[in-house]
Amino acid sequence: MHNLTQEKLITIITTDVLEDQLIAKAKKCGVSGYTIQRARGGGSSGIQSGMLDIDTNITFSVVIPSDRLDNLLDGLQELINRRYHLTVYVSDVSVLRPDKFTVPLT
Amino acid sequence: MSALSNLLIPAVLFFGLGFLARLIKSDLRFPQDMAKMMSIYLLMAIGLHGGFELGKSELGLAFNSVLWAIILGFTLPMLGYALLLFTGKVDRMNAAAIAAHYGSVSAGTFLTAIAYLDNIGVEYESYPLIMLAVMESPAIIVGLLLASWSRQKIAKVSNGGQAIQDKDDRSLKEKIGPLLHEALTNGSVVILIGSMTIGAISSHKAMEKLFPFIDEIFMGVLCLFLFEMGMEAGRRIKEFKKVGTVLAVFGLTMPLFGGAAGIIVGHWILGLSVGGITLVGVLGASASYIAVPPAMRLAVPEANPSFYLTLALGITFPFNVVVGIPLYHYVATVVST
Repeated sequence: MHNLTQEKLITIITTDVLEDQLIAKAKKCGVSGYTIQRARGGGSSGIQSGMLDIDTNITFSVVIPSDRLDNLLDGLQELINRRYHLTVYVSDVSVLRPDKFTVPLT
Repeated sequence: MSALSNLLIPAVLFFGLGFLARLIKSDLRFPQDMAKMMSIYLLMAIGLHGGFELGKSELGLAFNSVLWAIILGFTLPMLGYALLLFTGKVDRMNAAAIAAHYGSVSAGTFLTAIAYLDNIGVEYESYPLIMLAVMESPAIIVGLLLASWSRQKIAKVSNGGQAIQDKDDRSLKEKIGPLLHEALTNGSVVILIGSMTIGAISSHKAMEKLFPFIDEIFMGVLCLFLFEMGMEAGRRIKEFKKVGTVLAVFGLTMPLFGGAAGIIVGHWILGLSVGGITLVGVLGASASYIAVPPAMRLAVPEANPSFYLTLALGITFPFNVVVGIPLYHYVATVVST
């Protein structure tokens, strides 16, 4: 039986123009890495077909130790307060190597 | 009617086919990055071609075109903003973001106009092409300024008449740097201006070798691109209800004002030929759906993207392709005679 550790996974769905800002905020909170995938769908901002530069969304995911979670959520809240459209959800995940997520990305 | 038969060119017909494919809910879908790839090719080819022609042109007139492109780019969004507020259907932030789209230009519409003019054998100068490259940016800057101003107005109202200047001034200063950078280094601006420079300074012989790439296959790629854009427009038109009739009417009338402004500049100020005037008219009339939307998403998050995308891509673009281009050409012919 493997020994699993609990961490938090933050997933953000938003427009790709915010990519740089999300990376900067994540780095500031000491994340060890991030993953970006292209996404398409629809919602309050209309259709995001992903076919054109103008309507491409991303999902941005980071696994983060729970003690750093609030910092990152504050940063995201700040973007939402500025009226950016972000879908943010936090889930509990179990990881195999907790040490992998403690070393901040430079 | 001859104007109608002039529309029977493959590029416009493929646009219609794309639109139709969406309406009949066909499962047709292009590979994901195809439209992006084609728009890079089209901008590069038109840039090289224009630069090559521009190498032989008058510097004074070229300079004048740039100046008037900037003037158009700055004034059209203000007109759009005023018109939008007059309708009373959108708030100030949405008005600022939508207006910015109408000050900028649509390369897709411009290229369709070129296909249209080529088909009826009308010559045109290369100056409108420099204007195309220049007009991408000023409207983004005006959009940002209008949005900042609107933000202050809204804050003032919600604060019971008290201006909260400090906070807004800082956010404007913080934003204007990155946004200026975005406006001037935007991908399509870099491709257009870069290719134009390369086309202008490259040797004749070397450029001739490129002609199969930039000339002979150009119209074919344009057909494919407009095919895809037709599908995108068809997809957007379904959001028509969200936008509402009044805004949709704006999407149809604003191009007429912009087109008129372009024709005035093209004829009375720059003194171009019928083809040139038509192209400047198209520049004034068209609304951006490449450079401005991402910039507005970044700078004016308060505005709803489905408003400006539906208007620019779903309403104004098809209108210009089907009605606008023949109309501006007709008016250009009338004023020139």
